[in-house]
Amino acid sequence: MSETDLSVPFRRRAGSALGDKHLQEALTIATTKFIGLRRDAFDEFPEGERLRDLAREIKEATLQHLHRYVEQLIDSVERLGGHVHYATTPEEARRVVLDIAARTGARMAVKSKSMASEEIHLNEALEAAGVIPIETDLGEYIIQLAHERPSHIIAPAIHKTKGQVADLFAKELKRQVAADPEELTRIARVELRQKFLEADLGITGANFAVADTGTVVLVTNEGNGRMVTSLPRVHVAVMGVEKVVPSMTDLMVFLQILAKSATGQKLSVYTTLVRGPRRPGELEGPDEFHLVLLDNGRIRQIAGPLREALYCLRCGACLNVCPVYRQIGGHAYGYTYPGPIGILLTAMLEGPGSVKDLAHASSLCGACADACPVRIDIPKMLVELRREIHEARIAPWTERLAYGLMEKVLASPSLYRWSKPLARLLQRPFARDGRIRSVPLAFTEWTRTRDLPALAPQTFHEQWPTLK
Amino acid sequence: MTTRTEFLSRIRTEVGKTPGLFSARTAPRPSDPRAVSETIKRELAERWPQALERFQLEFERVAGVFHRAASIAVVPQVVAGIARENEVRRLVAWDAPELGADLLDALTARGLEPFAMPPGDLADATERAELRRRVADAELGLTGVDLAIAETGTLVLRSGAGRPRSTSLLPACHIAVFDRTALIETLGQAGVFLELWNRGELEGRIGAVTSFITGPSRTADIELTLTRGVHGPKEVHAIFVDQAIRG
Repeated sequence: MSETDLSVPFRRRAGSALGDKHLQEALTIATTKFIGLRRDAFDEFPEGERLRDLAREIKEATLQHLHRYVEQLIDSVERLGGHVHYATTPEEARRVVLDIAARTGARMAVKSKSMASEEIHLNEALEAAGVIPIETDLGEYIIQLAHERPSHIIAPAIHKTKGQVADLFAKELKRQVAADPEELTRIARVELRQKFLEADLGITGANFAVADTGTVVLVTNEGNGRMVTSLPRVHVAVMGVEKVVPSMTDLMVFLQILAKSATGQKLSVYTTLVRGPRRPGELEGPDEFHLVLLDNGRIRQIAGPLREALYCLRCGACLNVCPVYRQIGGHAYGYTYPGPIGILLTAMLEGPGSVKDLAHASSLCGACADACPVRIDIPKMLVELRREIHEARIAPWTERLAYGLMEKVLASPSLYRWSKPLARLLQRPFARDGRIRSVPLAFTEWTRTRDLPALAPQTFHEQWPTLK
Repeated sequence: MTTRTEFLSRIRTEVGKTPGLFSARTAPRPSDPRAVSETIKRELAERWPQALERFQLEFERVAGVFHRAASIAVVPQVVAGIARENEVRRLVAWDAPELGADLLDALTARGLEPFAMPPGDLADATERAELRRRVADAELGLTGVDLAIAETGTLVLRSGAGRPRSTSLLPACHIAVFDRTALIETLGQAGVFLELWNRGELEGRIGAVTSFITGPSRTADIELTLTRGVHGPKEVHAIFVDQAIRG
């Protein structure tokens, strides 16, 4: 599956993921492993729970004065000789980056993994403008060669086998390549090293940006974040406006829980703190530093129903524990951000209409809220979204009809009483041995993969007078 | 294009619409980071052996290789040992004042081909490109350390004049030399030093990048198989020097 086809309904996308045996196996192995690593990391770290509370509080406190911190960040970056750009829409963000590329005569851009640049579909725009974008995170490099999108926030290529990766490399390099992770990694090192040294433009996201100092913080394991910010002559960082943290002291709170939540490491291998362009006396580093602040639906949620989703650190912990993600993987969601938090972020970026199906792709079990390092109440917001979708009449008419009737019947004791004999009458043609296996018309979809228990001849409520 | 004023005023308007979800404060910052950092160091003057033990444990857990040398004079011997094991000889090093000692002659005497980074920027792009080729060609990178964090086995390196970023990045083997003045216990303590470095008199004198390095470069992007050295160094060695490096 290349670019996810959104004209295919979510049910069918999920269905084909469920039928993909290899994907099922890869998902189980990966998510189970990540869950274990995360649990072990926090078991070893008694301060973890307190720090999670503290991190949550910092996120909330930052949002309460976000204008102040963003302004401080801008001033700090500019004071150090950096440039700040403002993008309300993805188009605007792309235009900013393309302008910088054109002005500096850039021909090739090396990128370190950035969900924000995925979100604005930057690579396609660069290519169209004649700038070759090279993803340098190994997982991202693989899916770029395959012309796909990431299937997991922190492990973008977990759906690929080493055999598939070897085939991709062989096609790209036009030679035989062994299906061995060690060998494949070595090849990628050699290939990409050359690109790092040649590229004019380095493009990154930002895990955090410190308002007080104007520091952009990148967390990677491979070292590509360091390469991209040290070797090319121009560095562009694209970040969602909610990534700002007030101070270095706040930053350290997040660093203590981020990697543990994502991969179970105490700290990722490289945490790179970048303050603007190369300083006087410095041999390396870009001549120009640009920070692109991205809105794309975030700002209106500061006072909106999805406010809490602005706390998200993009660690991926909620994906791994989600019983739905574990079955269907990232691509079936169809958008940049998969998993439970991805549904909320998609609603934020694309509007609630885009998640009319996805809002139901959750069992509301609450595992995501438990795993979230900043305790985002994802289930609560999913329920809110479902309501909004219902009230805005975005949901399909069958769903609205069913919920509408339910609401009336459950709210009125007399209607509820009368509904029972009526339901028994209606179910008669379909109920066999106490189960309803299929219903006609618009409701067939509901019973395609599940049975309904038939309404009992006497409900508990009806039996109660005799039981008393 | 959206302007700064428009962008900020939109944020301000939205922030003004809501009191937020609960009453919340940011983390309390040290009011005098210099004083706090000095207290941290003073306290560690007594319990550094425990901190060092923890550092070694954590550093080895992330696949770092730990060495100990009685004095800086012994370091070339340790470095030569690492070079021999890897069957390599081309080494780039931070400028002597940044490293704390001039080890070039001693390294040369032990069969290495060392090259020191210039004390500042170079005159032109040609020279810079020439130097970059040399660094990209080197097999070993020798640096100092600004902080060694025991809790996580992390080496913290600031960039700057005479201490370029690439020394710890491009060569496949990074060797970092430190003594107990760099040793701290926790990430929280590191935050105090970051507060200190990024304000006031130090701000203008240090480079643009601070790197936290926790073991060799790694990836698990292909079938979750852990592989070292994807872009950064495949090996990271830390040499702890018992006798203070700067005398």
